[in-house]
Amino acid sequence: MQTTRKLLIYSQWNKNVFHVVKHRSTIAAPVAQCPYADVATNDHQIIANRAKKEVVTEQYLPYSQVPGPKPIPILGNTWRFFPIIGQFKISDIATMSFLLNQVWGRIVKVGGLMGRPDLLFVFDADEIEKCYRNEGQTPFRPSMPSLVKYKGELRKDFFGDLPGVVGVHGEKWKEFRSRVQKPILQLSTVRRYVKPLEQVTNDFMTRCQTQLLDENSELPNDFANEIHKWSLECIGLVALDTRLGCLDGTLDPKSEPQQIINAAQFALRNIAMLELKAPYWRWFPTPLWTRYVKNMDYFVEVCMKYISQATKRLQASGGVGGALDGEPSLIERVLKEEKNEKLATVMALDLILVGIDTISMAVCSILYQLATRPEEQEKIYQELKRNIPDKNTPLTIQLLEKNKYTKSFIKEVLRVYSTVIGNGRTLQNDTPICGYMIPKGVQVVFPNLVTGTMDEYVSDASEFKPERWIKSEDNDSNLHKFASLPYGHGSRMCLGRRFADMEMQILLAKLVRNYKLEYNHKPLNYAITFMYAPDGDLKFKMTPRVE
Amino acid sequence: MNQVLNKIIKINSINNIERLIRWKTKSGLCDRSIYTSRFLRHGDYEWKDPKSEDEVVNITYIDKNGKTYDVRGKIGDNALYLAHRYGIEMEGACEASLACTTCHVYVLDDYLDKLPEAEEKEEDLLDMAPFLKENSRLGCQIILSKELEGLKLQLPKATRNFYVDGHTPKPH
Repeated sequence: MQTTRKLLIYSQWNKNVFHVVKHRSTIAAPVAQCPYADVATNDHQIIANRAKKEVVTEQYLPYSQVPGPKPIPILGNTWRFFPIIGQFKISDIATMSFLLNQVWGRIVKVGGLMGRPDLLFVFDADEIEKCYRNEGQTPFRPSMPSLVKYKGELRKDFFGDLPGVVGVHGEKWKEFRSRVQKPILQLSTVRRYVKPLEQVTNDFMTRCQTQLLDENSELPNDFANEIHKWSLECIGLVALDTRLGCLDGTLDPKSEPQQIINAAQFALRNIAMLELKAPYWRWFPTPLWTRYVKNMDYFVEVCMKYISQATKRLQASGGVGGALDGEPSLIERVLKEEKNEKLATVMALDLILVGIDTISMAVCSILYQLATRPEEQEKIYQELKRNIPDKNTPLTIQLLEKNKYTKSFIKEVLRVYSTVIGNGRTLQNDTPICGYMIPKGVQVVFPNLVTGTMDEYVSDASEFKPERWIKSEDNDSNLHKFASLPYGHGSRMCLGRRFADMEMQILLAKLVRNYKLEYNHKPLNYAITFMYAPDGDLKFKMTPRVE
Repeated sequence: MNQVLNKIIKINSINNIERLIRWKTKSGLCDRSIYTSRFLRHGDYEWKDPKSEDEVVNITYIDKNGKTYDVRGKIGDNALYLAHRYGIEMEGACEASLACTTCHVYVLDDYLDKLPEAEEKEEDLLDMAPFLKENSRLGCQIILSKELEGLKLQLPKATRNFYVDGHTPKPH
């Protein structure tokens, strides 16, 4: 795996490596690796003494000495800020991250970006851990400039003091998050969704079996699109308290589900364009920007419609709410506790904007790994058969929790092929990292994809071994807790995490318990089309399991 | 079979606080409307004094410098928000949504056995907590009950800064 990756890096970046190396010899980079050991440090004291800056800076190497490609000819103009989930994206940033680490070491500065703050890559799990631990009350997570402009400028009147959590920072972020995070993250509400999400997944399986399979029992070329619809149907249920109907047989082009599917696809493909190409939209409305705004307006409209319906249902039930088998749904709980329809609407919008593509791309990746790893698939099947002897038994949170290997498989896919390749924070204070004093305002990048596969932090890092995640007496493999954090950590951890985990676990449980998945075509490469996922047609062969 | 399963789901789907409130509602101890109010979130509940001696649960916090705080809590109080009320430095950055470890505490003596077992999500987070010990728990997941009378919670040396005084980072 690692070797393949290296080969890939060197074949693709041959020229660039040469370029970088040449550069490196000319700049004054005194230390390529972390000079931590050489510097007398006591961060506790440093942070306490932050006011006495002159003392602090003497102990640390200055920011200007952080190694990295100074001008950025190698990065070209494609180097842009990542649109959706708060990282960045160029088509080759995955390869690029590995390259930066190999050439420059564990801390790499990429400066000179047009109109943007410097990016600082940290390939050191201990330092990443410190960053997360010291992030303070309102961590700043850079993300989606287009959404920031939409919420903060264009539709300021609507969003006003309740702009949501995505692309929002400081006190506004804190207040909003604080008002919605308990129902979204606490299992007391989340666990009520097992049954309805299982129903969506059953419908998806039926659709695959009866409408999508061809005469060779293979799924169609655009199966990724079907996964996308499943994910949309799931998020509709969670965020809008409704079945949108995206999985119905044939959809009229004018029907609402089809329009929502189109809008979501636009979000997937064109927001990337918006963020990646020269961002003229920042200054005047380009056609792409106009379409983006129209699209966002449509999403807002859909959210308003369904949340208003949910409010009416809640009122009709005497304010108790019982959308989920007599128990209040997420939306009902938020409406009841906050008594604010707009807050619920904005929350739904944020959940939809970030909850469709992330989950569906992760599922594409998980299913591809599943289909190409028969041994592991068999282990999952055996576990599921053990835990769910009768395949028609409805799933429960307890059953899902019992599927340890299945859960570990998901974690392992996210470690080796981290769908969201990194996370990041904009420093709120001058912070010592790897022995350098990094000034506030710098965007620090935690490249999960790289740190999760570094031998230093993970034993046999290049091996695909779901077992490493299972806690047991005889599992003594090393696994740095901060090396692979697909959802981040701390007060800005992914808000949709519990739902994401649950949706993926349910899909895997239902699929593998009932079917065998194979992939008999040319192996696919991973690439960032939008997120890190297999690039190509997911023509899986799906055959029912015979007991 | 299904009925039994459903029953199990139902029981498990109500977390401690909700269960308690339902019980209270039933027994007339609290008004139904409180269920929809915001005390679950911001710890307003912990700011209310016990209504009767029956409700009182006395517990002790020991901060990182060894200073002890005897606190008169009540049934249903969350150990994190109760600490906030009495000015004890327990952070709780994610507000009990199980996303961080800043309310990490050690449960002293044999009180650990009296607490409900940690859920997997809490366990996973505890694994990430600095200065983890056998008796580590997250404060935000501890809800007081009469059984916990006399509970002693000790705060670790640090919950954020990994390197504290006297600790030198190991070279890579």
